[in-house]
Amino acid sequence: MRTSTKAMLLTLWALAAFVAMAQAGAQDAPAPAAERSVLDAEVQELRREVVDLNRDLFMLEEDLLFPASTQIAVFVSMDVGTFFALDSVQIKVDDKEVANYLYTVRELEALRRGGVHRIWLGNLKAGEHEIVAFFTGKGTHERDYKRGATLTVEKGVGAKYVELKISDRLRKLQPEFVVRVWE
Amino acid sequence: MDDRNDRRRPAARLALGAALAALTLAAADAPVAPDFALPSLAGTNHRLSEHRGEVVAIVFWASWCGDCRRELERFERLRRTYGNVGFVVLGVSLDDEPAQARALAAAAALGYPVLSDPGKEVARTYRVDDLPLIVLIDRNGVVRARHDALDEREERGLMVSLRDLIDE
Repeated sequence: MRTSTKAMLLTLWALAAFVAMAQAGAQDAPAPAAERSVLDAEVQELRREVVDLNRDLFMLEEDLLFPASTQIAVFVSMDVGTFFALDSVQIKVDDKEVANYLYTVRELEALRRGGVHRIWLGNLKAGEHEIVAFFTGKGTHERDYKRGATLTVEKGVGAKYVELKISDRLRKLQPEFVVRVWE
Repeated sequence: MDDRNDRRRPAARLALGAALAALTLAAADAPVAPDFALPSLAGTNHRLSEHRGEVVAIVFWASWCGDCRRELERFERLRRTYGNVGFVVLGVSLDDEPAQARALAAAAALGYPVLSDPGKEVARTYRVDDLPLIVLIDRNGVVRARHDALDEREERGLMVSLRDLIDE
C-alpha cells in the first residue's frame, strides 16, 4: 500500500475514532469522578505494561544480536578528569575502527558524576584480539592531547566487558588512561 | 444511569484505543531526524538527540553562500524571541575550514551554536542539495518541515508552522 494512501486511511480512522469518542462524551456530560479515576488507573496500568514489554523486547533483541558467546562491550568511565577534558574516543579492534564517539558537555558531566558510557557493543569470535582506544581532548594548559591505550583480550565463551577509565595521576599532574577487563 | 455508563464505556475505550493506535502508527511513519554529534566553533560538541523535548531548527549554511547570512540572522532573531519557550537553533556550517565559518558567525553575532561539518557527513544524511537549508524538528524528534531560502510569503508560512510546533 502506498504511504500516502496509508496515511489517509490512518487519518480517517483517527477522525472516525475521534467522532465516536466525541459522541460518547456528549451523551454523558460530566463522567463521575470515580469512573474517571478507574479509567486513569487503567491507562496507567496499560502504560506500565507497554514499558515492560518494550524493555523485554529490547533485551530479547540484544540477546539475539549479541549472544553471550561472542558478545564484547567496551565502556568509558572517568574519575575526576581535572587534567584532561575529553573530546572524543575512537575504538579500533584488530585494526578496524568500530566506534568513534564525540562527547558533549552533558555527557562529560554525567561521566564526572560517576556515569559509565557503553561506547561499543559488538561480536568477536573466540581467540585473541587487540583493542586500541584513542582519547582526544585538551590536556593541562588547554593543549591538544591525544593518547592511545592498547589491550589484548582473550575472548572465551562468555561475554567480555572492557572498561576504559580516565583518571588523574596527581603525582605527575597528568591524566591516566587505564584499560581493564571486568572479570 | 449506571447501565447507560456501562454501555458507553467500552465504546469510548475502543474509540480511545483506536485513536491512540492510529496516532502511534502515523508517528511511526513520520521521518525521525537522524541523530548526529558535531563539534561547534566554540570547541564544545553538540548532539541533536540531547534536544529532544525542544523544537529544533537546523540551518545548513556555508560562508560562500549568498542567501545564508540572511537566514542565519533571521534565525538569531527567532531564537531571541522563542528561545525561552523551548526553541533551539543549530547552525551547521559546511565550510572546509572552520575559520571561514567563524568569521561570518562573529560578524552576524550569532548566539546559537554553530557546528562544523567539514566532512559533509551530516549534510549527506540530511540530503542537503542546496544552501541554505532549514530543517524544522518537533519536540518528539520528527522532521516536520524543510525550507530553502525564504521569501516573504514563505517566511509567514514558517512562522505559522514554528508557532504550531512550539504550542504542541
